[in-house]
Amino acid sequence: MSDLISIKGGRDGLRMRFDDSAEWGSLVEQLERQLAQSQAFFNGARLTLDLGDRAVSEAQLAELLDLMRQHGVVADALSANARESRNAARAAGITARPLPRYPDPVPGAAPASGESEALLLTRTVRSGQVVRHSGHITLIGDVNPGGEVIAGGSVIVWGRLRGFVHAGALGNSEALVCAIELHPTQLRIADQIATAPKGDRHHVPEVARIEAGQIVVESWESYKR
Amino acid sequence: MARVITITSGKGGVGKTTTTANLGTALAMRGSRVAVIDADIGLRNLDVVMGLENRIVYDLVDVVEGRARLRQALIKDKRLPELCLLPAAQTRDKDAVSPEHMIDLTNQLRNDFDFVLIDSPAGIEGGFRNAIAGADEVIIVTTPEVSAVRDADRIVGLVEAAEKGPPSLIVNRIKPRLVSRGEMLSVDDVLELLMITLVGIVPDDETIVTSTNRGEAAVYDQSSTAGKAFLNIARRLNGDEVPFLALQEQPGVIERLMGIFGRRRP
Repeated sequence: MSDLISIKGGRDGLRMRFDDSAEWGSLVEQLERQLAQSQAFFNGARLTLDLGDRAVSEAQLAELLDLMRQHGVVADALSANARESRNAARAAGITARPLPRYPDPVPGAAPASGESEALLLTRTVRSGQVVRHSGHITLIGDVNPGGEVIAGGSVIVWGRLRGFVHAGALGNSEALVCAIELHPTQLRIADQIATAPKGDRHHVPEVARIEAGQIVVESWESYKR
Repeated sequence: MARVITITSGKGGVGKTTTTANLGTALAMRGSRVAVIDADIGLRNLDVVMGLENRIVYDLVDVVEGRARLRQALIKDKRLPELCLLPAAQTRDKDAVSPEHMIDLTNQLRNDFDFVLIDSPAGIEGGFRNAIAGADEVIIVTTPEVSAVRDADRIVGLVEAAEKGPPSLIVNRIKPRLVSRGEMLSVDDVLELLMITLVGIVPDDETIVTSTNRGEAAVYDQSSTAGKAFLNIARRLNGDEVPFLALQEQPGVIERLMGIFGRRRP
């Protein structure tokens, strides 16, 4: 993502962090560009807005929410230090919270870039359920037909992947999709789309990735060589 | 204290109402006091399947809106005095009832019955939410069709999200011959996807059509294999260990020949 707006996935879902000092107009412009660029990732998403120390008026927040709504994004909550921002959120009918106090990062720890954060889940993703995360997703369990897994990074499924999967949904074409049984109704990596060939079900672990601009799928055995 | 069990499916037409009527009857035949509730407001069916249509005076909405007491609205079954039906309203829609109403209603029934079975409408909207609101347990009915199983999977997720615990499963209308030829999903295929506890396998059985049309539960009919399966489910709900019916039909000549020349992979 850009330096002005960053997306992070945490335990309680996606978080969109806005830069504190940038000029408002350029921030809105940047948001519009990113929402349009990563349509596949954002459409249907629910997230928390993180405004840091910035004070935002009711009109400014309304503009922001309107823009997000146009791209199918719903803001569930807002966290901000400025009281004015929290009041604006309440006026718009959104839960407002002060910013949680995070401990200072440990010196020498890896920088918390979106991609380095992985989400580990143990469950079945059933029809109608969506798992969405800005980093990698590791799922111990099946993705059933009608279920969706959407990640900014790679997707690893320790189980049967029979639903919809989108890796690199924020534009990363290096992302992989791996599954013990890879048989998705549709598989996307970055902006490429593939469907599983009808009928033949391989019962070997497989890896999907982009090669020469196309999605290719091969067995784990041949991939690791 | 009654166990309140909602019977639901997501997809319509898979046999929720038939299942509710037969399970209710089977449980009552085995000596339990049973109330069945038709929660499909506006598309009243359970009364017809149980042959009680002509006895309705008050319905669920009358009770909710205070025109009748619950006792007045409950209809006694023709044969089994321990079986009662609370019919749905036919002239209203789902919005006439709220989840709170259903919780209140089921709580009123808990002291007087051993089982309360709720027949849910199809879908995942208000009617479904009403139907599961008061439930302790949920049974999902599906047929071995891809679309029905997909909807059942959606329902499992919603039931879990509503914190009703993992639902259990009835696979209805299995055709053993089609399954053995690999042309119909098997019970194992369905279970592999849904991963919930199986409480019953009901074979496809023509006697169900005649028994529902006559308004007599199939469990009365000794010759009905579906009726036998429903009786078994009732026993399992009572805690008995009952093996699943062997649904293997005698293979036809062609299948037997195919068997000689080696099995095709499903």
